[in-house]
Amino acid sequence: MSSGARLLIIPLLVLLFGLRSPVTAGARVYIDITSPGYRSIPLAVYEFPGVPEGSEIADIIRDDLVFSGIFSFVEREAYIETALPVFDPLNWSPLGVEMVVKGTVNREGDHLVVTCYLYDVIDGRRILQKKYRAVKRHLRPLAHAIADDLYKRVTGEDGVFRTKIAFIGERGGRKGIYIADWDGRRVKRTGITGDLILTPHWSPDGRKLLYSSERGRQWGIFLVDFDRRKEMLLLRSEGTNLVGDFLPDGSGFLFSSSRAGTPDIYLYDLNTRKVKRLTRRRSIEISPTVSPDGRMVAFVSDHGGTPQVYIMGIDGRDLRRVTYSGTYNTSPVWSPRGDRIAYSSRVDGKNQIFTVNTDGTDPRQLTETGNNEDPSFSPDGRYIAFTSDRDGWKAVYIMRANGEAQRRITSRDMRAFGPRWSPNKIF
Amino acid sequence: MRTLFLLLLVAGLAFSCAQRKVASPEAGEAGAVSGARAGEGETVGEQELAAVQTEDIQGPSAMKLTEEEIRRIFKDIHFDYDRYDIKDEDKPTLRAIADWMLNNPPARLVIEGHCDERGTNEYNLGLGDRRARATKDYLVSLGVSARRLQTVSYGEERPLCTEKNEGCWRQNRRAHFVVVKEEASK
Repeated sequence: MSSGARLLIIPLLVLLFGLRSPVTAGARVYIDITSPGYRSIPLAVYEFPGVPEGSEIADIIRDDLVFSGIFSFVEREAYIETALPVFDPLNWSPLGVEMVVKGTVNREGDHLVVTCYLYDVIDGRRILQKKYRAVKRHLRPLAHAIADDLYKRVTGEDGVFRTKIAFIGERGGRKGIYIADWDGRRVKRTGITGDLILTPHWSPDGRKLLYSSERGRQWGIFLVDFDRRKEMLLLRSEGTNLVGDFLPDGSGFLFSSSRAGTPDIYLYDLNTRKVKRLTRRRSIEISPTVSPDGRMVAFVSDHGGTPQVYIMGIDGRDLRRVTYSGTYNTSPVWSPRGDRIAYSSRVDGKNQIFTVNTDGTDPRQLTETGNNEDPSFSPDGRYIAFTSDRDGWKAVYIMRANGEAQRRITSRDMRAFGPRWSPNKIF
Repeated sequence: MRTLFLLLLVAGLAFSCAQRKVASPEAGEAGAVSGARAGEGETVGEQELAAVQTEDIQGPSAMKLTEEEIRRIFKDIHFDYDRYDIKDEDKPTLRAIADWMLNNPPARLVIEGHCDERGTNEYNLGLGDRRARATKDYLVSLGVSARRLQTVSYGEERPLCTEKNEGCWRQNRRAHFVVVKEEASK
């Protein structure tokens, strides 16, 4: 790819300094990741010299950037330049490397201080230099923060390397809500447990979770507030009450309930505590998910004889069917860009993750092995977390939204399912 | 919120539990604790009993529900794959349950809807809900008051059988009955 093809001007980011270009110039976006034909950028990442943690930090940065699919890592054996922050493009162009990451690490008490540099081989200059400081036990978030900055410098978009994934974990027969880094590391218990507990749903600010749980033969919907360290029962009744998405403005949420007989879709207003019914049918209406603009709802209905994904307005009008192939299409989630819906579809007796345009065109199958369900998009829409039993037990996996780079992120010692990717930069 | 007292006579033992922890059975224990799979000759093990609060049942209104009656009357009914309509073969069972309910006015019935494992979790909860509801509607059509019938769905979460074959899946696609009695005044 020529450097011209990657050219796109966006406003200069204030977080950058040390650029040769005058302050009035725009920062360049080096790759347009929204264009379908982009290819990955060959990337060199040095181990950061100074302290032993330097190689771990460099590896985290490398793994983040490579998982994005936007970069491909060029092995270190080929590097001929010193790890010091000096740069000559002639050392790199023969290797086909287009971007070079270098850094230094120092200890200051129990803190790590990292300076990171990003060089563009084609332009022959440094395009980012930034200093970071964090306590040693935050080495991973520190490295993810660097990866986010590098990613943003090159793509112009926010990375998701500091996001979290909430999921249901089961150890020794007891289920609970766990939260891990997006790469499955630093798994933490929330303390919320139960015998029957379903997928948690994040509030838009990432400070609250909604979940459904059966207690005393009734399904209730619970709200967890991390700031107030409080849990509240919002509603319960016989049958089922199963929570769906928060609305994008956080003012309420969707849920399904059989309070009036059979499962239908409802809207709960958190300010007035009022409930509005959106569907009225004798069939099963369940698993509501809201569009990013808050105007549409996708959900599952078996009104036509088999479970299929439908869309309607947030007022319950203008119902139309989205999925037509297959006899079992469930667990829809709306993509953050609004253009696609991911769902689980039964193929040859197994559930597989698909995405489809909201008008029902262009369904694409993303998984093939084992049963795969519960898709959840990352906030930038570029990745999907999901549940799979392909390795012999239920675990949480992630992949790119086109199905590439599938990998398990929860460990062998836990059954894990129902993942939900957090909003960006919440902690 | 009414407190429900679970009345069960399994192997001659009577015990009840408050609503919050109705034996909170893990998968597999469910049949043993609620006892209605007594047809399989299951007994309540030491551990399950220890996990259940026990309380003596007093008063003339205490129902006499024997193991034999549970086995004979409160049999699971079964559903076809992804379906929730009542099958003709189960209608005599529901008739017998309705008759027993009509003859035992203090009794309430919890109807649990269950599914096999092949569906997705949340949709299976909807399917189990719909199965419990279809069962409730049928009992209401036979004259049992809807207020004495409570539904709950467990989806695929509490299978009776965990093998991956149709015989096992069929056993799991069921409505299961638990007789409870409303506490007189509280």
